[in-house]
Amino acid sequence: MLNIENLTVSVDDKTILKGLNLNVPAGEVHAIMGPNGAGKSTLGYTLAGRPNYEVTQGAVDFNGEDLLEKDVHERAAAGLYLSFQYPLEIPGVPAMTFIRTALNAQRKLRGEEEMSAPEFLKTIRDVAKTLKIDMDMLKRPLNVGFSGGEKKRMEVLQMALLQPKFLILDETDSGLDIDALKVVSDGVNALRSDDRGMLVITHYQRLLDHIKPDRIHILVDGRIVHSGGPELALELEAHGYDRYVNEAA
Amino acid sequence: MAFDLTPLDLFDPSSYPTRRHEEWTYSDLSRALRDVPARAELTHLQAEAGDFGGFYWHCAGDGQLADLQAAVSKAVQGSGGRLYLDMSDFGEEGSVAGYQGEGRITLGAGEHLILLEDYSGALDYAASTVLHFDVAEGATLIRVVILDEPESAVSVRRSTVTTAPDSVFKQYVFATGAKFQRFETHVTHAGQGALVEMHGAYLLKDAAHFDYTTRVTHVEVDGATQQLIKGLVKDRATAVFQGRIYVEKGADGTDARMRHQALMLNDGAHVRAKPELEIYADDVQCAHGNTIGALDESALFFCQSRGMPEEVARALLMQAFVVPVAEQIEDEGLREMVLNWIEDKAGGFYAL
Repeated sequence: MLNIENLTVSVDDKTILKGLNLNVPAGEVHAIMGPNGAGKSTLGYTLAGRPNYEVTQGAVDFNGEDLLEKDVHERAAAGLYLSFQYPLEIPGVPAMTFIRTALNAQRKLRGEEEMSAPEFLKTIRDVAKTLKIDMDMLKRPLNVGFSGGEKKRMEVLQMALLQPKFLILDETDSGLDIDALKVVSDGVNALRSDDRGMLVITHYQRLLDHIKPDRIHILVDGRIVHSGGPELALELEAHGYDRYVNEAA
Repeated sequence: MAFDLTPLDLFDPSSYPTRRHEEWTYSDLSRALRDVPARAELTHLQAEAGDFGGFYWHCAGDGQLADLQAAVSKAVQGSGGRLYLDMSDFGEEGSVAGYQGEGRITLGAGEHLILLEDYSGALDYAASTVLHFDVAEGATLIRVVILDEPESAVSVRRSTVTTAPDSVFKQYVFATGAKFQRFETHVTHAGQGALVEMHGAYLLKDAAHFDYTTRVTHVEVDGATQQLIKGLVKDRATAVFQGRIYVEKGADGTDARMRHQALMLNDGAHVRAKPELEIYADDVQCAHGNTIGALDESALFFCQSRGMPEEVARALLMQAFVVPVAEQIEDEGLREMVLNWIEDKAGGFYAL
């Protein structure tokens, strides 16, 4: 579903990703783990198309299409969803307006009919309930004054409504207490399906107790240096990244 | 503290202020009005109940402002305290018509008025209008002004406001600028415990010029002034904000706050901001803040990454920047009307 070959990326003339290879088939959840500064967030931003993240080499195939050719919003409409480590506050735009604008923009680009206001309201109400999000919160400007947990729940709400084909979760566990982590993880797990892929970027094994990955990749200095099964997370938790960092050096 | 309220006569170029006047440094009227406009005849006058759910005063020619109080009285007594002042029907095809007028609105003790002033002409004109507001004890005046003038227009809209004890004056100005557009409000805070709010939002593009000048003098004790002015400036447009709050000796208990925030959407756009506080009383709380920045690129990327094309995301964020001004309007119908207007204008910035 997502196939990355030799991806090399510079930000402000500094090379961060140095020939990264990764393949995530549909139906699988892969985790990317690695120390600070390894390029984990850069990978997420590059796939989403953030300006200033310059791809100098390599290719990304997403469902048979060249992902890197597409504009940011076209990638979203094609089914890619990046959940931000720090979701931005959008003052002046009610959460509901934001989500509906995004949803209908995607539908329009795909040549689908826009969702009517009543239909949208019904859908969002059902999803909000499962995520324990109060409808009043959705009338407030998106993420403004929301707690860390509320912001992440809002991210999961958007995933559930936008129904992307592929999810990239960038440090979704940061800023979450144990209860919020469970609500958010349950929300993500509910989206697991045979035709959807996921890439979970995390520092800690903790998140992977809740969102169980099929594969784990260790990212050090811009490359995947080791891949393995779910057991790899426990090993990392016990021994740290040192071994891989030294090998890469 | 005397304000520079030198009368301006559109038909007498020697009365035009020049940039040497400190108050007019950033807004050059003489340059905008190189040719003296032709004096326009009044066309027609109409008064009826309008869509706004209140009294409708169609003023085609500013000279008729002299009769404004009659409409105000009728609105306060019989139309739910709402008056729609339609100043949109100006101009003549093929020539620059000049309109000039002065009016007075007096609210009696405890009276309430919501005034909607709509300046959205279509043809070439130059206009100079002066409105005086006297707000008596315990009275409330809510003033919403839509300055949606044609890009060729030259206009100077001046108002004076005098408060009385426990009165409330709230002003919300929404502007798109013009060849020259200046909106001045001079407030004398003469009533103990009076509240004055003077907010505004501007959305300027192309070569539009908008100047929001506010002057507040706190004379009496316990007066409050609140100001939030937010704006967007694109292309070669220029925004000017001159806000001065003057607290006289003895005006203790004054609480005055002024904020101006502008977004410059490209190089070449201009924002000139001059917030001033001058305080001669001891026991006061005063603050002013002024920020000028660019659209938050991270927020833009966030919106795009959720599927919004760049122009949709930009329009949404720009709209979001100025809507907090409109959201303060308590009257729901009026608030919705202004929010729709902003949506329309912000969308127009990127040709949605």
